[in-house]
Amino acid sequence: MQNVLATMLALDTPQGAQPLNADNTSIWTQMSEALHQSLYRVLSLLIAILPGILAFVAAIVVLTLIGMLLSALLRRGLTAAKFDDHVARGRGSVGWSPTVSPTVLVARISFWACVVLGLIIGVSAFDASYATAANFTHSLLPFLTRVVGAALLLIAGTLSARFLARSVLIAAVNAQLQYARFLSLGVKWLMLVLTAAMALDHLQIGGHVVELAFGILFGGIVLTLALAVGLGSRDLVSRSLESHAEHPSESGFAIPPTPTAGSSEPIRHF
Amino acid sequence: MVTANPISENTACSARSGAGLLVLLVGIPSDQLESVLANLASCFPMKELIVASHDAISDALPAFSHRSIRFVTTPATNASWTLTADDFVNAWQLAEKHDAHAILMLGPGSGTLHASALSGLADSVITTQTDLAVAYYDLPPHTGLVNSAILYPLTRALFDSRVRFPLAVDLGLSPRMAERMAGAARRFTQSNLGETPLWPLNEAAVARFNVDQFDVGSPHQTQSAGPDLNTILPLVTGALFSDIEAKAAFWQRFRSLPLESDDIFNRNAQEPLGDAAAEIAPMLQAFRLAHTNLQEVWSLVLPPHSLLGLKRLAAAEAATFCMPDSLWARIVYDFLLAYRLRTINRGHLLGALIPLYLGWAASHINITASGVNAESHIEAVATAFENEKTYLVSRWRWPDRFNP
Repeated sequence: MQNVLATMLALDTPQGAQPLNADNTSIWTQMSEALHQSLYRVLSLLIAILPGILAFVAAIVVLTLIGMLLSALLRRGLTAAKFDDHVARGRGSVGWSPTVSPTVLVARISFWACVVLGLIIGVSAFDASYATAANFTHSLLPFLTRVVGAALLLIAGTLSARFLARSVLIAAVNAQLQYARFLSLGVKWLMLVLTAAMALDHLQIGGHVVELAFGILFGGIVLTLALAVGLGSRDLVSRSLESHAEHPSESGFAIPPTPTAGSSEPIRHF
Repeated sequence: MVTANPISENTACSARSGAGLLVLLVGIPSDQLESVLANLASCFPMKELIVASHDAISDALPAFSHRSIRFVTTPATNASWTLTADDFVNAWQLAEKHDAHAILMLGPGSGTLHASALSGLADSVITTQTDLAVAYYDLPPHTGLVNSAILYPLTRALFDSRVRFPLAVDLGLSPRMAERMAGAARRFTQSNLGETPLWPLNEAAVARFNVDQFDVGSPHQTQSAGPDLNTILPLVTGALFSDIEAKAAFWQRFRSLPLESDDIFNRNAQEPLGDAAAEIAPMLQAFRLAHTNLQEVWSLVLPPHSLLGLKRLAAAEAATFCMPDSLWARIVYDFLLAYRLRTINRGHLLGALIPLYLGWAASHINITASGVNAESHIEAVATAFENEKTYLVSRWRWPDRFNP
């Protein structure tokens, strides 16, 4: 198909590219020629990238179907083998605890691995078939791959920011810090700013402006947090230092029971 | 960490001589060792005893010579406040090696127990058909609050057990109970989780073994013995929730509780208590701070009705601060369900439970300060857990369909 279209267009171009008669030259003829040349270039471009696009779509569709099949097979097989029970027995009571069952997790990982594999194969096929298209190759295709990487960075960064913010919030509340929410928000925005800067850097957008802005913003947030925590917890830090100075042999594991005023027996949680 | 053959003998006695009683000393400081050994020697003058302890204090053992006591060593475990999986594995390996008829596990603080307490724990296993003898501690009213708030009510409601201290560190075990506990412990030790606390009562309930509790009096507690609440509460509740999840098929069947046959729970007559408002002030502050900041976490776990109850509590004055027993029972059950469903990260979940527990503790102190016997209130809480068990079972079976 590519050859046929190329032949058809090639037949038109030699005559269309040069004026037949200089006397008949007018503005309409020149416009027509310009449009003709433009159409030729666009059609050539489409012909050049069409196989690559088809290969890209085919790779993703085929690998997605394979992923769905593999995922279903794994799910059935692992359920029949009582994989969840084995993992639960082996893992014990503490440690890593995903939000879905191990069987579902394995099935999902296999599915998405196939999808990502299809994406990689598709992009490389697109890249190989489009290697001849000079200008477009050096701008769009690398940018497309960088966009995928930046999207993954954004997803991972957002999830990490959420997890860290919640960890800090709960730990700070249990440490009875009055500025727990502020601390949590600070950590969350630190992570988000870091992620955004990494994504922009990966996309090669902004150049040194992004690095400079990130440095200023990150430093500003850290300084703000340091000032807020330092000024807000002077008493806490001094009490902590005093207690360590008084009881240097005590580890952090054992904390005396809650002191009570006016009671003969202290409150002991254990 | 447990090794393949961790036991080494200090004496030249035969390993298979058929010892009567194996005593495993866990986490006992060296200064209490002599009193424990003296108590054991006086309790069991005619029995052959094997006393096992970890390497660090084994040097002091031969200094105490007694004709009926043999000393062996076990690898040191990290038990500092409770018995761990490693300890149960060690106990069974020693019992099997020495053909012991009964095992007595004595945890930290047992050096202050009276001789009759040790004798009672061991005799209940040796002379009766009891497989598991658990110590009952006569504690002051404001002591062991985590046990009173979560461990005892949950164990009682789900495993039909009246034993007051499910995580007691002083136990008497029959050989088959020790074998079962070692089997449960190996799942953790093989995963390098040997420091995880185990739940002998739950194992005994599932195996339908005979369980009894024995009053060992009031152990002396030092001021520095209190562990960090933020560390221990997630560890203990996480271990219990995990065990409950593993035994769901057992506890979902309805069982009737046996009638209370002794007056062991009628201890702790009201003692003069201090100023309740001053005592609970830091707890209330922690609870209110959490209510302000942890709404986004609690709302993922708790239904609107419970959140409304917490909102009212947060607005209450210190003098009138009182958490309803049914609300507390549902909160614990909702956290158990969220633990099972992995609604949020389990570390976050158990961390978010701490301020709620502090709210319960403040409420408990307020109630006891008003003249109510502490044990009566704890029994009321346990009864609330039993009454709300249907809520747990319904949501456990149909987490999406059941609408509280």
